[in-house]
Amino acid sequence: MLQTNASTEVASATSVERSLYSTVLTFCAGLFTLIALLFVGNLVWRAWPILSRQPLTLVTGTSWGGTIGSYGAWPQIFGTLQTSVGAVIIAVIAGLGTSISIVYLIPQRVKLITITLVELLAAVPSIVYGCWGFLILGPYMTKYVDPALAHLPFAKYWLGNPNLYTTQSVLLGIFVLAVMVLPTFVAISREVIASVPNDLIEASYSLGGSWWQTMSKVVLPASKIGIFGAASLALARAAGETVAILFIIGGFGGVQTHLLYPGSTLAAWIASQFGEATTSGIAALMAMGVLLMIINFLLAIISRRMLAAQRRRMARV
Amino acid sequence: MSNTATYTELSEETRAEIRRVSDAKRQGRLVRSSIMKVLAPLALLFAAVPLISLLVNLISKGGRYLAHWSFYSQVPSSPSLFSESSIGGVSTAITGSLLIVLCAAVLSVPIGVTAGVYLAENETRLAKVLRVIASTMSGAPSVLMGLFAIGFLVVTLKIQASAFDGAVALAILMLPVITIATEIAVRNVPSTYREAGLALGAKKARVSMKVIIPAARSAIMSAILLAIARAVGETAPIVFVIGGVAKTTLNPFNPVQALPALLYSDIGSPYPALRNEAWGIGLLLVLFVFVLSFTARLWSARAARKFS
Amino acid sequence: MTSNVDTSVATSVAMSLRNVGVSFDGKSAVGGVTFDVARNRVTSMIGPSGSGKTTLLRALNRLHDLNASAKVTGEILLDGEDIYARSVSTTELRSRIGMVFQRPNPFPSMSIYDNVAAGLRFNGIKKKSLIDEAVESSLRVSALWDEVQNRLDVMASNLSGGQQQRLCIARALAIGPEILLMDEPTASLDPISTSQIEELMGTLTKYTTVIIVTHNMQQAARVSDDCAFLLMDEDRAGKLIEFAPTQKIFNNPDDERTLDYINGRFG
Repeated sequence: MLQTNASTEVASATSVERSLYSTVLTFCAGLFTLIALLFVGNLVWRAWPILSRQPLTLVTGTSWGGTIGSYGAWPQIFGTLQTSVGAVIIAVIAGLGTSISIVYLIPQRVKLITITLVELLAAVPSIVYGCWGFLILGPYMTKYVDPALAHLPFAKYWLGNPNLYTTQSVLLGIFVLAVMVLPTFVAISREVIASVPNDLIEASYSLGGSWWQTMSKVVLPASKIGIFGAASLALARAAGETVAILFIIGGFGGVQTHLLYPGSTLAAWIASQFGEATTSGIAALMAMGVLLMIINFLLAIISRRMLAAQRRRMARV
Repeated sequence: MSNTATYTELSEETRAEIRRVSDAKRQGRLVRSSIMKVLAPLALLFAAVPLISLLVNLISKGGRYLAHWSFYSQVPSSPSLFSESSIGGVSTAITGSLLIVLCAAVLSVPIGVTAGVYLAENETRLAKVLRVIASTMSGAPSVLMGLFAIGFLVVTLKIQASAFDGAVALAILMLPVITIATEIAVRNVPSTYREAGLALGAKKARVSMKVIIPAARSAIMSAILLAIARAVGETAPIVFVIGGVAKTTLNPFNPVQALPALLYSDIGSPYPALRNEAWGIGLLLVLFVFVLSFTARLWSARAARKFS
Repeated sequence: MTSNVDTSVATSVAMSLRNVGVSFDGKSAVGGVTFDVARNRVTSMIGPSGSGKTTLLRALNRLHDLNASAKVTGEILLDGEDIYARSVSTTELRSRIGMVFQRPNPFPSMSIYDNVAAGLRFNGIKKKSLIDEAVESSLRVSALWDEVQNRLDVMASNLSGGQQQRLCIARALAIGPEILLMDEPTASLDPISTSQIEELMGTLTKYTTVIIVTHNMQQAARVSDDCAFLLMDEDRAGKLIEFAPTQKIFNNPDDERTLDYINGRFG
């Protein structure tokens, strides 16, 4: 036996150390899991009176509380989709052009500053975007943009009556959210686009392709999955935004089809209604929170799958 | 393939037709390409204008607040509907924010880092579950953390509106961020470090504690800084539960103010003086976040260099 | 620097290099290269690494235009016209000069058919019958048709390395280029794929002129008709040491340095 008394001591001392180490690790991992379960559980439990009573009408109903006593979140679900999808469409179009420009068109010296600026802008707190949106963009839109938009065809149907345009509107919400998610989208999509292997680009040019043909037929298709992942990430963030949109959208409790009138979203409604809510109102808001959580969960899964698939694809090539 | 003919080599007519068509189409596609070469930077410009407007407004409107010491030292005071100044400072919001974020860090960093190390070193069922949980929670809308603070801390545990409530809400926000980043940081330590330690006869736990985790230190610190940077700017989790009392205190169970919450009330305030102050608070927050993010980036660059 | 044109067989010149040099950020990578590339033959460029062969090759289809720090001097004449003249459209030029790269690089988001058709589509050709014909004939010439004819809509990334490279050759040939540039095309392939592609080069000359860069001199001896030997100078710029029919280069070269390289005295 090579083990002496001394080394047995050392061995057992280290085995105590070892089990302490893994116990602490496992404990914290377990604690985290418990906290997460507590978090979700508390939300679901508080929402239970409403979730159990009226699960379907919660999603389809259009009135909130009042004398009927039932809570329908459809206007807020609609508003969340309106604003977040609208914002992401704008952000993706402008963002792709921006990313392509950064990677392929702007001179080397400016590139590093631009990339750093984009990443820092992605870290700006959302309430600052809300402040800018409410105090700067809102008045600007009311003064210059809304009157101009009133001249578009069929404006009455999808924008509303020009005399009734309000400072707080769905369109303003879409714009503010678009500006907010743009830096994050550009940061991710730029990286994806920049990682398209150089020899694919050289091959495209060698066949006689023009710059735009190379971009649209080679670079963008190769980055497609990653861009989609970045877009769903942006969508998830836009859908969950509270304070950026709170002052912006107005808090109208119905389904809003006119873009220049006020509307509401799930997150903003929760925040704005909380102060005056009754007991059942609070439960309903918790239920709305559950809805928001589910939507965000689905979007997050989609985006993570996409980004992982893109990473795998690039590794293989 | 449409017809039955087999082609072995390009015939002369085919070659000629290819030449002819491509010569004819060339101008058109070159024009299209030039147009897009202009449109793409235009998109960049279109995206840049609002973002630059944001930065310019922040700096020009908020700068004058940050230049005066009174902004940092004085307590907020009631404004009048007519004057644009003498509204005091935001000292209580600064101290409140610091207290809340510090408590949040104390709560979330130990658990988060340890859980992250667990994830990096284990592949048990708990690890797989935890990973899914962490990545899901890290993208959760922050208003849900506010709902938790109200629903659990205030109503169930009957803890009054205080810094602690806000700290717990922020801690839940920071936990997944820290855990995920710590796992990445530890996994990024080259396996040669562990192999060397094991080859010297040390046991796995000892190697982890004495070699791996210290090596990942810079990256972990960077992750913590980023989580703090994010937490400092969050409004929705804390605005309803911190109490909003303009007093500086070291006791986390007292109500406090916070910078984002003050900003929130300033934006919607009827007093123009407070609406202007909002820019000062906004700029302060942005600068704070920038400094933290920049430092975090420096540290993670240092960590990356160490391993290359 | 001898430029040896075999006057017993009247071969015409596909491309002429006159004192061609390439520099990056002012520092010369290769300079003073003059030789003629004979039409419908295989011309190889050999030499140790760093001798500027690939840099020179990429100048022939103006690929260096993509690099802001690169500058090309001298004249490269295609049908008597300098390809670097202001009036030359690079997109047209590159549809007349094709390129195959060191690592197979089929477009990952496209099928086999779409990859081969890519060059045609870039050049504005839409007629399906035309594309079908070009795709099939270039896949046949590249000796890939039999293996893929039943699965043309499969993603290109599903092919093996050797198949992918033959796909890239087909892709480059589909638009019927006068000259095909090959940059160490078999460097990343296994021996069997390598010999398949080497066999291919003999038939390629029926349709086009091949200029191939290779660091494998036995390969050059096997496949090429004419050979250019380049070597790095003291000032770290590549120079053309000798240009002659391959037979001569490998059996009785004029320059001593060529002889040393052939005999493996340096690599």
